[in-house]
Amino acid sequence: MSEDGVTIGLETHVQLDTNTKLFCSCPNRHADEPNTLTCPTCLGHPGSRPAINEEALRQSVMVGEALGCDVSGKTRFARKTYFYPDMAKNFQVTQYDNPVAQNGQLKTEEQSVGIRRVHVEEDPASMVHEGGDISSAEYTLVDYNRAGRPLLEIVTEPDMSSPEEAREYLKELTGVLRYLGVYSPGSDFVLKSDANISLSGGSRVEVKNITGISEIEKALSYEISRQRQLRRRGREVGKQTRSFNSSMGSTKPLREKESEEDYGYIVEPDLTSHTISEEDVDTIKEDVPELPRQKRKRLKSEYGLGSETADSLVRERDFADLFEKAAGQNSETVARLMVNTLRKVLNYHGSKITDSGVAAEDISFLTSLLAENDITERNAEKALRSAVEDGVRARQAVEEEDLRKTDSSETRKVAESVVEDETEAVEDYVSGEEDAINYLVGQVMSRTNGSADPSEAREMLEEAMNQ
Amino acid sequence: MDFKQKLQARDEDLDFMRSISFRPNDQSGLLEDVPFVVKDAICAEGVETTAGAEILEGYRPVFDAAAVERLEDSGAVFHGKTQQDEFGFGSFCTNCAHGKPRNPHDTSRVTGGSSGGAAAVCAATDKDVLSIGESTGGSITNPAAYNGVYGLTPTYGRVPRTGLVSYSNSLDKIGVLSSSLELVAQGLETISGRDSGDQTSADRPVPDFSEESTPGSLTVGVPTQLEGVDLEQSVRSNFETSLGQLEDLGYGVERVDVPLLDPDVCVAAYYVMAVSEASTNLARFCGMRYGAEGSPADYEDFNDYFSRIRGEKLGEEAKRRIILGTYARMAGYRDDFYVRAAKVRRKLINQIEQVFERCDLLAAPSMPGVAPTFEEAQDMSASETYAMDALTVGPNLAGVPQLSVPNGEGDGMPTGLQLIGPHWGEKLLIDVARQLDGE
Repeated sequence: MSEDGVTIGLETHVQLDTNTKLFCSCPNRHADEPNTLTCPTCLGHPGSRPAINEEALRQSVMVGEALGCDVSGKTRFARKTYFYPDMAKNFQVTQYDNPVAQNGQLKTEEQSVGIRRVHVEEDPASMVHEGGDISSAEYTLVDYNRAGRPLLEIVTEPDMSSPEEAREYLKELTGVLRYLGVYSPGSDFVLKSDANISLSGGSRVEVKNITGISEIEKALSYEISRQRQLRRRGREVGKQTRSFNSSMGSTKPLREKESEEDYGYIVEPDLTSHTISEEDVDTIKEDVPELPRQKRKRLKSEYGLGSETADSLVRERDFADLFEKAAGQNSETVARLMVNTLRKVLNYHGSKITDSGVAAEDISFLTSLLAENDITERNAEKALRSAVEDGVRARQAVEEEDLRKTDSSETRKVAESVVEDETEAVEDYVSGEEDAINYLVGQVMSRTNGSADPSEAREMLEEAMNQ
Repeated sequence: MDFKQKLQARDEDLDFMRSISFRPNDQSGLLEDVPFVVKDAICAEGVETTAGAEILEGYRPVFDAAAVERLEDSGAVFHGKTQQDEFGFGSFCTNCAHGKPRNPHDTSRVTGGSSGGAAAVCAATDKDVLSIGESTGGSITNPAAYNGVYGLTPTYGRVPRTGLVSYSNSLDKIGVLSSSLELVAQGLETISGRDSGDQTSADRPVPDFSEESTPGSLTVGVPTQLEGVDLEQSVRSNFETSLGQLEDLGYGVERVDVPLLDPDVCVAAYYVMAVSEASTNLARFCGMRYGAEGSPADYEDFNDYFSRIRGEKLGEEAKRRIILGTYARMAGYRDDFYVRAAKVRRKLINQIEQVFERCDLLAAPSMPGVAPTFEEAQDMSASETYAMDALTVGPNLAGVPQLSVPNGEGDGMPTGLQLIGPHWGEKLLIDVARQLDGE
């Protein structure tokens, strides 16, 4: 803990990846055209009623199980009443007394963060403030496409004491959510956090609207230094709700919060209480896969991998699965090929491992060539690129494009001809400009279509020039 | 004169219809060609639906209530919407934004509420019409008794509320009124049963209400808590006559004790629960999306906009209930009011279920008196008006079915007998009413 006792708790909202909204059969997705994915229920029309989406409940229970929570199986919805233009009914259907799950924990590499509760609720509509922010805008447009989309809220205990810890927690949480298949970054499903921050003895300040993992550290660092500044100048930190502005990297006050807001919670009387049988809870529990932290640990001990490599492999479940399928005797080479080369190729094409067409046999094949020193890393990458671009097997690409390593006598021949042709560079090298050799190696590589071993080429060039 | 003309002519004098609109229907079924009307709070696609409230003026639902859809599927013909108190907040149909219906038996008297128009249309047009009403704390029994017609409030969850503008969701029940007991039975049979649009609608088989069966020997319980209510003389003597008729049918009649049916407990618990839910239901009426609207340029911001629209357009009783309901669910008061009322309801249900282990049905007068005149009604305070619900809120709070049966007159005005059944016991109530009718 820092010397002035920073305490941080997070409330993270994740949009659940279900087919339909939480209480109606409208599609649960983004649409460019406003107010096209709506019905009387998500518009709050008089006479309309909610009907629970069982899949959203199932996913919530699964998250509760993965976070080691008490999942009673008995859950109930509540009305949280406040007036706001993005609320179709001026109350939000959420959970109060009986959340899906409570009292769990999430372990990061450094610490264990207590999970107070996990509950599911409906997303409000989205608003567009034309010509300013909410207070200065000329007018505000409301788009109900988002209204009623299922949101999972995960509330921690105030167990974190630095922005880094908060980032580690969110990173771990995101990994868990990805493994459970309830969240995928980069899709139109959004992860947002509100943070509660205080210095010891000071008031609690809530910072709203922090998107993703990257912003959390920025927002918290700003807010902590703001509170410290105030304290240094002998001023008191007031109880407040602030919002984070990502482009400014700062927080600004939304409203003073003298006391807890009174939302007048009552049971949502249009929904019966939901009892998920113990049996069903157990089935859902069995659906919880090995989670990133356990997997990371196991890969390290089972395959002797380093922390960074293991970390990179487990970032996506499919990536780690592919590794385990391909890993034979050369597991370290497999890991290196995947973490360095395959990831680079995938990133370049913006494609995911599952739809890239790359299979375990491609990885194993290239690994064995690498192990036998029969292919250069550069050409292994080429083969993977062909696999992703043209959907061919790596084996086929290697044969057709002749990607195996050129044998030494061939390389020597090419090196000698390069020395003969590139007289200027050779002179530079001989007169002491050592960098010139890199250019010459490049020439060998290009004449051999990348199949020469660069270090061998260097040796042979040196030999040829010394003759 | 066909039914539509009769309806128009009688409505001219009595103003029991919110709107008359005819929707042709060539489907065949149990209710083929039977004209039906619905309480204003029940949605009919494209027909202005205001629940008796000014703030909802202009709202035309884009869908039919499940009850409307089912009636049309069985051949019944929609004829319009009936007057009611604003959002169901009233006992006399005098809290209406769109005129006050008059009692067909005496136009200086009220129809009762809140389904006042729904009962008056039956009394005014005789046996021809099936009228769909809604009861939260007695809004079917009350006007049925005041107008001398049958009114059946089903078990909570028997009829889906899909398409009902809510008053208090955990208490609201769509039911049936008619001068014809057989239309009541057929109507209930048609609109009952699970609907995917209402999760609280019960997934259980619907009995053939329209098929008569003769009950065997029955025990009729008379809760002393209800008999002890301050009753007008005619109501008390008509009730005693009814009990005599039940004995003549060979049924045993005995006094039973259901402590929580005491109106001092029930009326309080009922109102706390009802206004808590109502105050959240009414939050959506803020001048956006549907109903009343203001010109945004005339207002400072959203808070100013919705506050002033609500201030101008909501009636006095609606505001009273919003304030009461908001108070009852505030942090610090919630446990003493809202949560406590829920506990009373739970205990009342237990007591009622217990008494039904000994009795087959319960009987009580429907209302403490006959329909008051408009002047009498106007002079009552809010709490005096709430006390008119003394006999009806108990069964409504417990969610058990009630059937109000016309049982005589006092001062030339009808009185009613309230038969109360166990949960899902509507069939027995209808069959006993048939026996009484045959007497």
